[in-house]
Amino acid sequence: MTLTEVVSYAAFALLLVTSLALLLSQNWRWSIIALAVQYVGVFWLVMLSWPIGLSVVKLVTGWMAGALIGSSQPAEELKDATFSNIQGMVFRLGVSLVGLILVFTTAPKLVDWIPAGQPVLLGALVLLVNGLLQLGMTTRPLRVILGLLTVLSGFEILYAVVEQSVLVAGLSSIITLGLALLGAYLMAAPEMEAEE
Amino acid sequence: MSAPLLFVLLPLVVAVGLYFARARRWLVVVLAGIVCFSLSALALLAPIDTLVQIGPISFEIPSTLLILGRRLVLEDGHRPFLALIYTTAGFWFLGSMVARANRLFVPMGLAMVALLVAVSAVEPFLYAALLVEMAVLVSVPFLAPPGKPFGQGVLRYLIFQSLAMPFILLAGWSLASIEANPSNQALYGQAEVFLGLGFAFWLAVFPFYTWIPLLTEQSHPYTAGFVVTLLFSVILLFSLNFLDTFAWLRSSTLLFQSLRLVGLIMVVTGGVWAAFQRNQARLMGYAVILELGISLLALSLGIAEGLNLFAQLFLPRIITLATWALALAILQRQPGFRGFSDLRGLLRRAPVVGITWMLAYFSLGALPLLAGFPVRMVVMETLASQSIGAPLWVMAGNMGYLIGGLRALALMASGDDPWRISETRTQIAMLVIGALALILVGLFPGVFVPGMNGLLEPFTRLR
Repeated sequence: MTLTEVVSYAAFALLLVTSLALLLSQNWRWSIIALAVQYVGVFWLVMLSWPIGLSVVKLVTGWMAGALIGSSQPAEELKDATFSNIQGMVFRLGVSLVGLILVFTTAPKLVDWIPAGQPVLLGALVLLVNGLLQLGMTTRPLRVILGLLTVLSGFEILYAVVEQSVLVAGLSSIITLGLALLGAYLMAAPEMEAEE
Repeated sequence: MSAPLLFVLLPLVVAVGLYFARARRWLVVVLAGIVCFSLSALALLAPIDTLVQIGPISFEIPSTLLILGRRLVLEDGHRPFLALIYTTAGFWFLGSMVARANRLFVPMGLAMVALLVAVSAVEPFLYAALLVEMAVLVSVPFLAPPGKPFGQGVLRYLIFQSLAMPFILLAGWSLASIEANPSNQALYGQAEVFLGLGFAFWLAVFPFYTWIPLLTEQSHPYTAGFVVTLLFSVILLFSLNFLDTFAWLRSSTLLFQSLRLVGLIMVVTGGVWAAFQRNQARLMGYAVILELGISLLALSLGIAEGLNLFAQLFLPRIITLATWALALAILQRQPGFRGFSDLRGLLRRAPVVGITWMLAYFSLGALPLLAGFPVRMVVMETLASQSIGAPLWVMAGNMGYLIGGLRALALMASGDDPWRISETRTQIAMLVIGALALILVGLFPGVFVPGMNGLLEPFTRLR
């Protein structure tokens, strides 16, 4: 195993931990930190396919997205009404473990579809699965945005393998920032002054 | 000045300006209307990539704009589409004063329209998925305006539309791989899966359509109507790019069979849910689902028979949904109106809004002499010539939909309130324009509807 492969598997492990933290956390500060660290893993796996200059865009955009969401200080926006207790956490963890089994069984076959290394596929799939779980188990705007950012990060890792367009990188960065901005807006909107 | 600069970047810049001027509602609406109608007139009158000479002045509108190594291209064939989308937007923005849509609607709606125009301009066309996502992001603030709690409809709309983007982009990559390696059969299945999932999310195909009735119920009906009408119109047209570019898709019987099955499911479920619905705004959502199903059925008739019908459905759908959204917005602002049961006696208290709403409702139900009838009849005829079962299912769905309308009509006609007109003059004027458009298109379809065939001009291999 080469050093790059070792670091790539470490990036996968990082993505596993951060996406799980995003799924389980009931504290917005930890969630924002997890999101920021998650983009480091995304950056590393994208860098295996893209030049470093272009890959850095993902990292910077992700951090900016985290900052945008954090700026709205969403203290109450993260707490779920149904899954916030210990049973809920255990349930989320259990479902995520089932998802992880799915990831490990799917990744070796997915290589026939998308020509990427195992750590890249594992990293992308774990983000997709945990992001979808997040989307499926919440009605909170902040969690929806975090879930979407996680799913799109997983997709971006996969898509980086097959597409290296500057326009795509630019537009997907705009979408990441747009989602974060929208998240901040949606959390603040009900309390804002009405514009009839 | 190139066409993409005029039809995409200029309205985007104007939208930014209008956002900062949104406190002056009249000014914003009038300026947006002027911009939309001017662009529509320009699209109708000025050819693209052709030298135009007016007296001593000559000019040419180039079709191409280079941006980050890719191209935005609006050719002469796009002019009918540009005219349609900007005319629709212009009328919708003007109506927003009467409908009392929130102040974010006009500026952000204009930005959304510009992005949707860019969808049809970007090359390679698969990058359009990213632009659709941006249009969705821009639309959320006016669906969930400041100072009001928002429901799950907006969030589900955001989620489902965002999930479509990855699948469409991956489908594009798969399709490009097929072109490079046409003998690899595995790639075809892969592309079909990605494409199917992408469009299922995008077009809110069964079972991913739950957000539509939620959105029409929980958001302002006028803004929700704008989003579903324009977004689905553009995505439906965009879907033709795939058929135009990839010959194997055109000859795929599986594709057309799938479209028919999905279309039928949408028509039947939309109609059945409408029959039991007790919320006037959700009814519009089910009507949209039914109408999307009809569009998919028209496409399933095949390139030769169905494509013109598919394009001709656009005009009645847009006019009907615009009128419906306006009527619903005015209806829900009636004093004392809280829900479906308050429809009782509406035809006596507010006859213009009640009649206009019912005209729009039954137009989408394809009642004769209304805008939705002529094209729908031809779709049913052609469908019947290809399959016996399919038209029966469509009739069942339509029957459910009409029952929902008749129930609302019976409620509106009941009661013993004294006759009075409670709508304002401006409301009456706008509603009458919509109602007249529904009747005129229904009475003279040959005058209005064939013009929609021009929407197919960019798709040179499909004509």
